[in-house]
Amino acid sequence: MNILELRNVTKSFRKGDETITPLHNVDLDVRQGEFVSLMGPSGSGKSTLLNVVSGIDHVDSGVIRVNSQEITSLSRGQLADWRAANLGYIFQTHNLVPVLTAYENVELPTLLLKLSAGERRARVELALEAVGLSDRAGHYPRQLSGGQEQRVGIARAIVSHPTVVVADEPTGSLDAETSLQVQSLLKRLNQELNITLLMVTHDAHVATIATRQLYLDRGKLVEELRVERQ
Amino acid sequence: MFNYVLKTLIRHRTRSLLTVTGAAVAIFVYCIVGSVQEGLYRLTSGADADRRLIVFQENRFCPTTSRLPEDYAVKIGKIAGVKDVLPIQVWTNNCRASLDIVVFNGADPKKIQSMRPVKLASGSWSQFETQRDAAVIGRNIAMRRGLKVGDQFTIGDISVRIAGVFQSEVPSEENLIYTHLAFLQNSQRNESVGLVTQHEVLLQPSADADRVATEIDVQLRASSVATKTRRKGAFQASTLSDLVDLIGFAHWLGYACVGLVLSLVATTTIMSVQDRMQEYAVLQTIGVRPLGTLRLVLAESVLLCLVGGGIGSGFALIALQFGGFAIGAEGATIAFKPSLWLGLSSLGTSLCVGLVAGLPPAIQTARMSIVNSLRTA
Repeated sequence: MNILELRNVTKSFRKGDETITPLHNVDLDVRQGEFVSLMGPSGSGKSTLLNVVSGIDHVDSGVIRVNSQEITSLSRGQLADWRAANLGYIFQTHNLVPVLTAYENVELPTLLLKLSAGERRARVELALEAVGLSDRAGHYPRQLSGGQEQRVGIARAIVSHPTVVVADEPTGSLDAETSLQVQSLLKRLNQELNITLLMVTHDAHVATIATRQLYLDRGKLVEELRVERQ
Repeated sequence: MFNYVLKTLIRHRTRSLLTVTGAAVAIFVYCIVGSVQEGLYRLTSGADADRRLIVFQENRFCPTTSRLPEDYAVKIGKIAGVKDVLPIQVWTNNCRASLDIVVFNGADPKKIQSMRPVKLASGSWSQFETQRDAAVIGRNIAMRRGLKVGDQFTIGDISVRIAGVFQSEVPSEENLIYTHLAFLQNSQRNESVGLVTQHEVLLQPSADADRVATEIDVQLRASSVATKTRRKGAFQASTLSDLVDLIGFAHWLGYACVGLVLSLVATTTIMSVQDRMQEYAVLQTIGVRPLGTLRLVLAESVLLCLVGGGIGSGFALIALQFGGFAIGAEGATIAFKPSLWLGLSSLGTSLCVGLVAGLPPAIQTARMSIVNSLRTA
């Protein structure tokens, strides 16, 4: 079953006198539980693709469906509600709220859902445990290492049990060793929790952790490699 | 999400503290100005102000210059519509505007008790009635001058023994010192026996105040001293006319305080929001609605204003309650008193200022482009 469908998605914007089209009639299907990496040179449209799939940017034409729901016709408010219930977003620079502890950062998305306090607590504890940071729950972002911050960011992305998790260069700001830990974590989450992941990366090595590797160039998907899960 | 707002303000504690302090000082001043205006309003528009008349010597202003025969009370008492008359000798330490004005009202103790809205809080009324140099003093002046029952209080040629401290539902009453009429008449250098400063006329419920006032002046025109009779409110407004102008001008100071809080909180909120556009973009990315971020920003600015306003108005109300402040001129005083309305209006003003100050940055966060805000961060 396709969890994510893009049909003839086109997105362009003006930069000075020039019109740039980062996405041009893109079609894409992603199945439940797939781990898809998106590669491509700078300006190829991979971040734009991630943004339109996340509903934080709008398309010029085409249709995006997530779990059979068309998100391209939703208003800003409806998109926010949809993101709260269906989307997990992992940022390159962690983007944790500095005044909140790791626990409170992970708890944030659950505050937007209709959950009891007990359910919320259980979900946050489970998410922190999944990323191996239960013992750092009370720490503030400034008290965490870069790798730990990113793991809190990942816990925040999965805590609401989203339909899709998107990751924008999740290892881009990490050193080699921490990057490996995060890659391993993403792979484990995909395999063990069957989370559907769409990841943008510059790094060809990082892209290999995905079960399906896509290559974007000048707004078009031009290459695809599928890896059978062991 | 309130936790987020609270923690954000606490995290930037220096900025928050400075803003709250500024707002508190401005609202403190706003409250004091408000209490002066309330005091003036009470003085000139209370029930007392319309149903009582003051008979004063014509073309005289300061109490020391008005000298009416005491027996005018008998003539006034016979006029239709008059219920009772209280001859009063007034003595004040300062005819000009002063923040520490002391006003003695010499009158018959029995009539004071029946005609003036006073209630003894401590001391003995019978001692006041029987002792020639005894006085009962208002709570405000007792607080201001640190006086208590049994003290001897001397000012100028007048020296009284305090027999009681009274409170009143009319705050300006609490700035007065009541003595026996004869005592006050005799204690002044120029002989005042048989003379009083003014007559206070209590009207029958059905009497037309203006008609009675005119009638009194007409009746007394042929007597030795011509009079000018006005409603008590109008008399006090006229007596305090210089102060009324100043107090009228002071309301601009109140507006300036509101403007100060507005600019202070607006600056803080705008700076805070501009520093955290990325944070708001992240919140919207994880599912906070644009209106949700708008509410968060508004909550921040309202909280700053309410805390500052609460502290400022709290201190102001305490100072007004225990400071015994008053301003007066020519024997009339305006009491600065705290009131529930003053507290509520200060908090209401703080709330409105918080909303107005936070609205532009709140709208900015609600309308921002998430992608651009994440990219430019």
